[in-house]
Amino acid sequence: MASSRDDFIIAIRSAFLKKSTQQKFSLLTLVLISIFIIVLSNLDFRIIRYVKNGINELVYRSSFIVSIPENFIKNTFIEVSDYTTYFREFKDNREELKKLKSKNISSEITQYENKELKELINDYVSSSDKILAKIIVDHDSPFLKSIIINKGSKDNIRIGTNIYDQSYLVGRVIEVNYKTSRVLLLSDLNSNVPVTIAPQNIQAIITGSADNAGQIKYIKDGLVDQFTEKSIVYTSGTGAIFKSGIPIGKVQILDEGESKKFKVKFYSDFSQLKYVFAEVITKKEIQNSNQQAENNNQNPIDAKLKILEDELNIIEKSNQKFKEENENLKEKINDLTNNLINSQNEVIAQKQVIDQFNIDKKELEFLKLNLDYGHKCRKSFLNNKGFIVGTSGYKKCVLNRGKLDD
Amino acid sequence: MTSLKTRGFYFKVYSLLPIIFLFISVLNEFDFNYLNLDFFSFNFPFILIFFFTLKEFKHFDYLLVFFAGLINDTVVGLPLGISSLSYVLICIATSYFRNITIRPNPIKDWFYFLFIICLLNSINFSILTLFFSFNLVLMNYLVNTFFTFTFYIIFASLFKFYLKGLND
Repeated sequence: MASSRDDFIIAIRSAFLKKSTQQKFSLLTLVLISIFIIVLSNLDFRIIRYVKNGINELVYRSSFIVSIPENFIKNTFIEVSDYTTYFREFKDNREELKKLKSKNISSEITQYENKELKELINDYVSSSDKILAKIIVDHDSPFLKSIIINKGSKDNIRIGTNIYDQSYLVGRVIEVNYKTSRVLLLSDLNSNVPVTIAPQNIQAIITGSADNAGQIKYIKDGLVDQFTEKSIVYTSGTGAIFKSGIPIGKVQILDEGESKKFKVKFYSDFSQLKYVFAEVITKKEIQNSNQQAENNNQNPIDAKLKILEDELNIIEKSNQKFKEENENLKEKINDLTNNLINSQNEVIAQKQVIDQFNIDKKELEFLKLNLDYGHKCRKSFLNNKGFIVGTSGYKKCVLNRGKLDD
Repeated sequence: MTSLKTRGFYFKVYSLLPIIFLFISVLNEFDFNYLNLDFFSFNFPFILIFFFTLKEFKHFDYLLVFFAGLINDTVVGLPLGISSLSYVLICIATSYFRNITIRPNPIKDWFYFLFIICLLNSINFSILTLFFSFNLVLMNYLVNTFFTFTFYIIFASLFKFYLKGLND
């Protein structure tokens, strides 16, 4: 018994403390260093932060280079699988684009109104620039859903910066380095987004789930029954983490026997992201009344005038567009009228040709019958009842196949 | 003389292949996410480290394993040091297992590996949820453990060819 315990202790000591050949550190030292690093990485010291940022920069770039072959295979696989659906998608997209273009003008006016109302509510005006960022690392870890983008503090990216795929929200920045940042995707379990579910106007929180869909949480009992497949989820702006009104996804109803489950299907496919937009927001405080009085250019009347001018510009733009459309339509109508007249002329000409043809046909018929029955109708010494050639009676007789009418 | 030198160089590169693969795998994190397979993941570094620290630890520097862990944490986005701790713990486990084993048996290795990865994933899960307040899905860990365990025997048989080449 004592011997087996000794063996165990010797084996453990050997495992922990003994430096094997060619090993520079004992394993116990490395364990202690690991624990030390875990503790250090939690302390928010400036030096540690800089060192961490340096390591991140280096590792992300290296990871990007090392991932090139896998990304190549991945992209080829996706391209091949998508190729068959491209044409159909293109057709649908073209139709959608037409519809969207027509809605663009009214949307512009709504946006303007929205901005105006926000300015009235807040004491600042936010102007935002969307900068394009490339995804350099998108390893879909089974435990954490995040991506690395090639924009960092150098490009005014901050913790909390909203990240978009086109106009759809995909996540927010949780770690910023000098030239790179880590984005926590909406599908991650640690992501919480305050949302509004329209048209029911229900407030809720969306969190990620294991199956790349969103879970609806913290919702009042009974409101769930109001959801339909057409319910749209967009950010509510509560908590000022995300901007309000950014589309996220659609409500998906899963029928599981007696109970129903509700999930959010994201508009954006997070596994297919290549480029994203980072929204860099700059806030401009609205000057107070004293400052406004000092500055004649920014007094309320001027501001109001500017708003009206802008509004006028938009209306003029839309009017111009309608005029152009009208002109186009007029031209089209003229073209169509010309085409119609041409067609009518053509029809008349064709009718004349047909009439002539009919006349010729009758003449031919008469000549044929004349050869056969002419002698019966012609007035002669033997045929007293006949007609003189060329008269209408003669013609009638020939057409009646030589029958002489009384 | 030159050929001897060249041969030495190739041997050096060949002997460093596991470490190179380890670094490529932690930098790349083979994910197969484009296959759209839900609940499919396995931990290749665990397999690699376990096998080579058990069988060929002389060419598998523990310090480099430790650095690979740091890189893995950075790429995946885990708190720095978590993977290093896991990797070093695997090294300790294999070192202990090597010391107590008289007659090596692949099946014993395999089940010992299962025990170790269950232990390590439990430690990881506990640290991340208790100390770092991460929200994690336990099912992901279980699936990951299952596939890592299943693939071990396949990779182990492939690695044996490598070891044969190294010894020849």
